[in-house]
Order: sequence, then structure tokens, then C-alpha cells
Amino acid sequence: MKKIISIISLCLLVLSIKAQGNYEQGMQKAFGFWQENKIEEASNLFERIANAEKENWLPYYYVANVNITNSFRTKDRKIINAQLEKAQNNLNSATTYSANNPEIMVLQALLYTAQMMENPAALSQKLAPKIVKIYETAMAIAPENPRVNASYAEWKLGAARFFKEDTTPLCKDFEKSLLLFEKDKPTVPFGPTWGKERVEMLLKECNN
Amino acid sequence: MKLIVLFIFVLVASQSIAAQTQISGKVTDQKGNPLSGANIFLVGSYDGATSDTVGKFNFTTDLEGTQKLQISFISFEDVYLDMDVSVMQNLLVKLKQSISSLEQVVLSAGSMDASDNSKAAVLTPMDIVTTAGALGDAVGALQTLPGTSSNANDGRLFVRGGDTSETQVFIDGTRVFQPFLATANNTPTRGRNSPFVFKGVNFSTGGYSAEYGQALSSILNLETVDEPNEEEVNLQLMSVGGGAQFTKIWDKSSLIFNTSYFNLKPYQEIIKQQLNFSKPIQVLSGETVFTQKFKKGLLKTYAALSYTDFELTQEDINVPQGVLVGLKNRNSYLNTTYKGKLGNSWKVNGGISLSNDFTDTKQDVNRIKTNDNSLHAKLKLNKKFDNNFQVSYGVEQFVTRIKDKIAVPDQEIQNSTLDNNISAAFAEGKLRIGSKFVTKFGARASHAGIFSKTTLAPRFSLAHKTSEYGQLAFAYGDFYQNPQNAILKMEESLSPERASHFLLNYLYKKERQIFRAELFYKKYTDLIKFNGDQVITATDFRNSGNGNAKGLDLFWRDGKSIKNFEYWVSYSYLDTKRNFRNYPEAAAPPFATSHNFSLVTKYFISDWRTQVGATYNFSSGRSFTNPNTTGFLNDKTKSFNDLSINFAYLISQQKILFCSVSNVLGFNNVLDYQYANSPDANGIFNRRAITQPAKRFFFVGFFWTISENKQKNQLENL
Repeated sequence: MKKIISIISLCLLVLSIKAQGNYEQGMQKAFGFWQENKIEEASNLFERIANAEKENWLPYYYVANVNITNSFRTKDRKIINAQLEKAQNNLNSATTYSANNPEIMVLQALLYTAQMMENPAALSQKLAPKIVKIYETAMAIAPENPRVNASYAEWKLGAARFFKEDTTPLCKDFEKSLLLFEKDKPTVPFGPTWGKERVEMLLKECNN
Repeated sequence: MKLIVLFIFVLVASQSIAAQTQISGKVTDQKGNPLSGANIFLVGSYDGATSDTVGKFNFTTDLEGTQKLQISFISFEDVYLDMDVSVMQNLLVKLKQSISSLEQVVLSAGSMDASDNSKAAVLTPMDIVTTAGALGDAVGALQTLPGTSSNANDGRLFVRGGDTSETQVFIDGTRVFQPFLATANNTPTRGRNSPFVFKGVNFSTGGYSAEYGQALSSILNLETVDEPNEEEVNLQLMSVGGGAQFTKIWDKSSLIFNTSYFNLKPYQEIIKQQLNFSKPIQVLSGETVFTQKFKKGLLKTYAALSYTDFELTQEDINVPQGVLVGLKNRNSYLNTTYKGKLGNSWKVNGGISLSNDFTDTKQDVNRIKTNDNSLHAKLKLNKKFDNNFQVSYGVEQFVTRIKDKIAVPDQEIQNSTLDNNISAAFAEGKLRIGSKFVTKFGARASHAGIFSKTTLAPRFSLAHKTSEYGQLAFAYGDFYQNPQNAILKMEESLSPERASHFLLNYLYKKERQIFRAELFYKKYTDLIKFNGDQVITATDFRNSGNGNAKGLDLFWRDGKSIKNFEYWVSYSYLDTKRNFRNYPEAAAPPFATSHNFSLVTKYFISDWRTQVGATYNFSSGRSFTNPNTTGFLNDKTKSFNDLSINFAYLISQQKILFCSVSNVLGFNNVLDYQYANSPDANGIFNRRAITQPAKRFFFVGFFWTISENKQKNQLENL
């Protein structure tokens, strides 16, 4: 009897390890695709993981992340819109499983920024206040989050450039973000860690 | 130890025992072209693959039995296959292109929107405030759209041969009884509402839904904002006055409040006017919008107050010293609307509007005081059966009571009261057939209490998607409207006037380019006729008039071809004749000009942070009766031309400087002629040209936004 129980519990343990293994393997493989610039493969795999994991916000977050990042490099408006629509659907799912998450807010702000690029002069009327509101909310929740700090500072940089204002005060924000990146550790496995290189690049521009 | 061995055994077994099944196939579009990058996977598992450059995919699974295979690809519709994994080999999957809401076929006949996300949108909400010549007046911006005839001496909407009373204005679906500020004869008016509290405008030039009645030609619905973006204070300092707007946001509710004061006196002292004002126009107004979110709905309240007065001596060829005209107007308007979900795919939409309008008019030695109290209540229910079929129906009630007090020297004061109440019910179904057809059909029944007559008006519209970006639409409808209150005050035993619309529309919309063409035919029957020069002295009122209007509207907008440059062009051709009021025969009324053309341009100079706009308007001559030759409306004025320009300069993120000039080129536009009542010694009737009050209108404004958030920018008001 004891033996049967141990076998059953062992089997269950194995199954759960296997499932865990699937998740880890899958996520690693997807990041691999992303690094190799296999955008569709990466997006598809994150999507499959999201579908299998169901209530985990991270794979949804990465589907959105891959598509938003890629939209900035896409030229065809129709494809951009489709990518952003997909990203928005996944952000909505991510938010369902993780409410008030500043990491998701950053992506939402970036998504609106990508939408605004279609016609900045006209669309900023509607989107700029939304974007700012999202960053302000994220800053209130996580003032020490490097991605919130860096993305918001970069948004301010864009606005200051547009208005031909002095951009040097923002360099302080980037310096602060960089310090935060040094201390940055994901709170969950595969949690977001991106953004440092971009800040380093922007800081270089500051020093020029 | 034993356990560890067992553990390893189970682990290995779990990998190898499960049978590996291969799943393979090819993904293509409807025409058989391979789709690379599609996602193919078994729902709920990790097993899946991405299709390669020839659309092929291949992966293995441990799962057995019947499973759900999902195939998705960006901008295509998902496909699900339920089958046994053992037969999931060499599958051929054809995907169908998905249709986003912007690509869906819509009922576009007659309809033009100023909104962010509607397919019928030809303008954005921002265009209302940035169109040169419109000066922040929504109606001014709409006059650059096809189907309207610009009448520079009026300022209201004249749609497809109809006069201004044939257009009704609504806010959030409830009626606005006095949408325009009171003005003197031959001076243009503007809407009472500030464009900054509205998020969208729906303008229909015909064939509209059964939800709307009591309008023979057109409806204009303004939508108030649902949710302001952030708390702020806006200050406006203008050459003709000043204003302020405050926005406050709470967790579930928000409040916008604005007030403004205009006085043309300082301006008129600098710039000479054709009109002789003893008391220049002044307007004091305020508006507020309150919104409250509930779990399943949204409640909105909009209220507006305005006060206007002026006094002038109007030139008159028959009265050498001129005629003294003075006016005081006080208008209050309140509406409350609720829209929400009731569950089970039912939606409710209801509202009530109340208005009180008091006018005290002085004309020479006579005085008329009018007090108009009106109410509109509406309740609409909508049931969505599935994505393809939905039904709306509702009821509404209009109540109007107008009290007049007329004082003429040496005569007894006359008091009169008019009650004009209308009850109506409507029902409408909307059906989508496949992805290429949509149709809406319904009817509206209306009962007018004043003469106890009931009418039934059918409405029908249909649209067909002809290509990826193009579509064809048709609309038909009957429309009834009670005669104007001024006529009902004289004679109550009449019938509603009637119009039938037939519209054929073609719409092409791709990214930031829109082409729209519409052919229309409108037939009027039962129009009011009377004998006499003016309504107040006329006799023999009857529903014996008729008329028709036909023509073509063209619209093209392009914001894509040239960077930072946006423009639109409208042209309308109108052929109309009507026999109504005191017309001796059918003729084209003065306000219905045959050709109307507008060109609106906007260019953003990023280096200067300046938007430059220019609007050119042309309309062919207006008809008038020249008593020196025989006939009725037998002559025409010269055509009307106007070029207006504006500049908006962003001083900083919070400050904007706005300048505009109308009629820069100084065209000497004659809008009409007034003839002497009797001929001079040579037997000739002398005339006086009616022109614009001043050749040019200059406007300078400074707008300053103060918000806690320094990032807020003034682009919003550009």
C-alpha cells in the first residue's frame, strides 16, 4: 500500500516537474528565437506557452513585448496595426492575471506610443495624455522600477525634442535608471530584465 | 535508494512510453498562397510549430485521441480542427483574412463623422478646432463638408436644398432646441456649445436611422466626453473676450466646467463695421459636463447657460434713418443620459433634455417677448442576438410650450400660447450577411398632438463591400416634420411636412486617404404655403407646397501623400426647386446655391512648432427677385469667395498662440440685395447690397493649460 502511494506520488511529482520543465524549456527556446531575430517563431512560441499555462501573465507579456518592439521596425501600417492589435489582446490577458503590474503598464505606454507614430501631430492629442497617465500611475506603484523610469524618461525626451526644449535635465533621469538597472533582479523566473542597453546608449548621447 | 531508482525509471518511462505522433500540414490563404509564420498548436499543450517559408509545419506530440488543433496567423481568422491526432497529417489549412472594425462594411450613405475610430469618419474631433475660418465652431467646420451650402450671412446648416429648420441638433441623442446663438439679420451665428467638451460629431445629410425624426433634411449629433484625460485648468485670452475651463477627476466620476465672455465692442472700435451697433454683441456663457461610472453603465449630465444681447440700427432702403433692432436672449439647457448593459446582450440608452429660452426683441417701436419651454425624453433598448443580428427600439416624447407677448404702441398687448407635443416610437433591425453585406431596416411612428395626425415613416439602408477598401451603400427613408412654430402660432390645423430621401454612396478609405461620392434625390411634399409677405400677417396656410432636390457630393481627403500636410476637398452640385411659403411658382431658394466648393489645408512645420491652415470656400450666386425685370427669383448675385488662414504656434508645452484672418484677399461678397418698395422718378427700383459685416475678421487668442503634470501638452488644442 505504502509502495503504491509512493509510486503515485512519484508519478505526480514527475508530471509536475515535467510540466515545469516544459515551461522553462519553452521560455528559454522562445528567448532564443527572439535573440536570433526569429520574431514570428518567438511570438508564436510565447503564445503557445501562454495558451498552455493559461493563468501566467508572463508569456502574454512577452507576446505583447515581441510584437510591440517589432512594430517599431515595421513599415507597412496594416501589419503594424495587426501587430499592435495582437499585442493589445495579450496585454489585456496579462492584466487579467496580474492587475496593477507596472511592467505591463510600461508595455501599454509603449503600445500607445507605437500607435501615435502613425500621425504624431494628430494622434498625440488623444494618446499623449493617456501615455503620461500610465507612466505616472506606474511611477506611483513602482518608483524604483528601472524600466518604468527609463521608458518614462525616454518619452519625456521625445516630447522635449519636439518642443525644442533643453534635454539635459533628463540625463539625470537616465543616470538614475541606470543605477536602478544595476540593482534590478526579476521577482519571478523569466521576469522582465530588458532596457539597460538602451539607457546606456541614451546616456552616451547625453555625454556628447 | 530504491525510491530514487524508481523515480528515474518513472521519469524515463514517462518520456518513452508515450507514443509520439507526428502532426504535419500546410497553411495557405484562400487562393492557395503559402503563409509563413503561422502558429499551429494543440490547444492546452506545448506542442506546436511555426509554418516555414512554404507554409509547411511539422511537430510531434505525446497527446492521444481527439484534440483541438489551432491555426492562427496575424490578420487572419483563427481556425480550429477537432480530430484524432493520428489523422493530423498532411493537413491543408486555408485561412481567411480577418476584417478589423475599420475594414468592416458600414452603412455610410448620408453619414459623415468627426471621430477617432469610426469608418464613416471624415474629420477628426481636432479638425473642428483647427479648420481655418471655422473659429472653433463645430458647425463652421461641417460647412466645409459636401452636402452643405455655405450662407455667410447666416452661419447655420443648410443641407441639400433644405432650410435651417430642417436640420435638428442633438447632444448625446437628446434634442437641443436652440442650438445657435441669437444674432441680428444678415450676421452669421455660431453654435452655443464649446467644441472642447465634445469627443465626436455625427453629421447626417440624409437617410438617417429611425431613431431620429422631426428633421426633413439632416441631423447633427454631438457626443460629450466620457472620461476626461486629466485634471487641468485651461485659460483663454482672446481679442474678443476670455474664458476658462476646469477639469476635475475622481475615481468613478469627473466634472468639466467652463465659462467664457465675448464682447465685440473693443474689436469693433478698431475695425470698421458695415453695421451700426449702438450696443455691440456680448455673450456670456458657461457649460458643465458631469460623468459618473457605474458597474454596468455611464451616466452623463450636460448643462449650458448663455446670455446674449445687442442693439443696432439696421440699414433699410425704405427707411432712411434705419430700423432699431435690439435683442436680449437667455438660454438654459440641461440633459441627462444613461447608457448601460442589462445582461443577456441587452443594452439600454435613455435620456431627457430640458430647455428654456427667453428672447426679448425690440424692432423699431414694437416689442416681442418669447418664452419657450421644451422637453425631450427618449428611451431606447438594443438586443444583440449574435454578431450578425441586432434589434433596437424605443419611444420618445417632445413637449414644447411657447408663450408670446407682443406689444405694439396704441394697441392692446397680445398674449398667445402654443403647445406642440409629439410622441413617437421606432424599431430597427440591423443584419450582417457574410462579411460583405450589412442592412438596416425599420420604421418610425409619430403622433403630433397639435393637429392630431399620425405618420408612419419607413427607413432602409444597405451597404456592400466591393473591394478591400471600397464599398457601395444605398439608403431610403421617409421623414416627417411639424411645420415651424412661427407658422403653427398662426394656424394650427395643418399636417406635418414630408420628405423622401434616396441616396447612393461610394466610399473608399485606405489608411489616411478617403474618397466619398454620393448621389441624392430628395422629394418634398406637403410643404406649407401661405398668402402674404410675412408669416405674421399671412393668411390661408395650407400643406399644398412641394419641391425636390437632386445632386452629387464629392469629398477627398489625403493626409498621407505629403508629410505633415493634410487637406480635404469638397464639391457639391445641387439642383433644386421648391414651391413653398409665399412662392408664386417653383424656384431655387436663395440659400440653395448650385455649386459649393471647399478646400481645407493644414500644414505642420515641425521646426517652428507651428500649424498653418488655410480654407478656401466658393459658392455660386444666390438667387434674388429683381423687380426691374419680370419674374420671381429671376436674378443671381455674383459668386461667393473666401480665403481664410490661421496659425497656431506652440510657445511651450503648455502655451499656444492662435491667430486667424478670414477673407484675407478681401473679396467683396454680395450676399443679397434689398430693393425699394416703390420705383424712383425714372421708374427704377433702387437697391442696397447686403454684404458681410466687415470684409475681414481678425482673431488672436492665447491658450494656457495649467496641469499638475508638466508633460501635458498643448498639441491637444492645436
